[in-house]
Amino acid sequence: MTRVPMEGKVLNENDRAAAELRAEFARHGVFAVNLISSPGSGKTALLERTLESYDAGRRVAVLTGDIQTDADAARLARYGFPVRQITTAGACHLDARMIRRALDGWELAQIDLLFIENVGNLVCPTSYDLGEACKIVLLSVTEGEEKPLKYPGIFFKSELMLLTKIDLLPYVPFNIDVAEANARTIHPEIQIARLSCTTKQGLDEWLRWIDARKGGQ
Amino acid sequence: MHEVGIANGILEAVRKETEAHKPARAVKVGVRIGEMAGIDPQSLAFSFEVLVKGSDLEPLDLAIEPGVLDELEFAYLELEVP
Repeated sequence: MTRVPMEGKVLNENDRAAAELRAEFARHGVFAVNLISSPGSGKTALLERTLESYDAGRRVAVLTGDIQTDADAARLARYGFPVRQITTAGACHLDARMIRRALDGWELAQIDLLFIENVGNLVCPTSYDLGEACKIVLLSVTEGEEKPLKYPGIFFKSELMLLTKIDLLPYVPFNIDVAEANARTIHPEIQIARLSCTTKQGLDEWLRWIDARKGGQ
Repeated sequence: MHEVGIANGILEAVRKETEAHKPARAVKVGVRIGEMAGIDPQSLAFSFEVLVKGSDLEPLDLAIEPGVLDELEFAYLELEVP
């Protein structure tokens, strides 16, 4: 019996595809963001409010992933920006090759900002690099403040945690300070913003964050 | 259940690596998985077992070692040289 060292990442194929995407995004000046959360945390609502706030000349595009239906693309297409649905037909996450295929035919040089709305899932999307500049995790106040401790991977890898649905805070037993402390236990450098897509509280801060982060890349 | 995809990636890499050591056959593959990798080791072990069963690689063992943070990397491959 001989043992040989084996090197490299397990997700080598995906990482290769992601690296190609990242290089292509850099070449065309596309700032790509990977939005991850459990189902129903408000990823699509966040994108609705975001697109709604952009003027028509803004060079933004959206890829939205779901296991089934193009309901989200239909919701997001109303704002007049390019939107494409990726239906994974069972897969619990997006991978770099799905992004590659979905971008086919789009002129990347015409896009400055690309939002990728991942499949609603706090676990699986964590492992798949999509060539994005940063991951952002959403946590809604109806979910429970212990989520960062239960699903550490995504909070560890995200640059920003968006606490959503904060208009519901008076009605749910959610301790927002504990939620933030939990996220920082996992990832001390994580940035945190609070927002409500219903009242638009915190929306401006989010829009400024994206622009600032995009500017700095 | 993305562990099935991960297990599949491991098997593909094992096939490739074994090919380079002909005529040896792979007996065991070691991977390192960190706590932040978002991988459930039990689920991965189960997916791996199911995929190996009946495949050209049977019997093949998977050894999961603790990794650092979000590490998800290969460690070693054990080969049997006939």
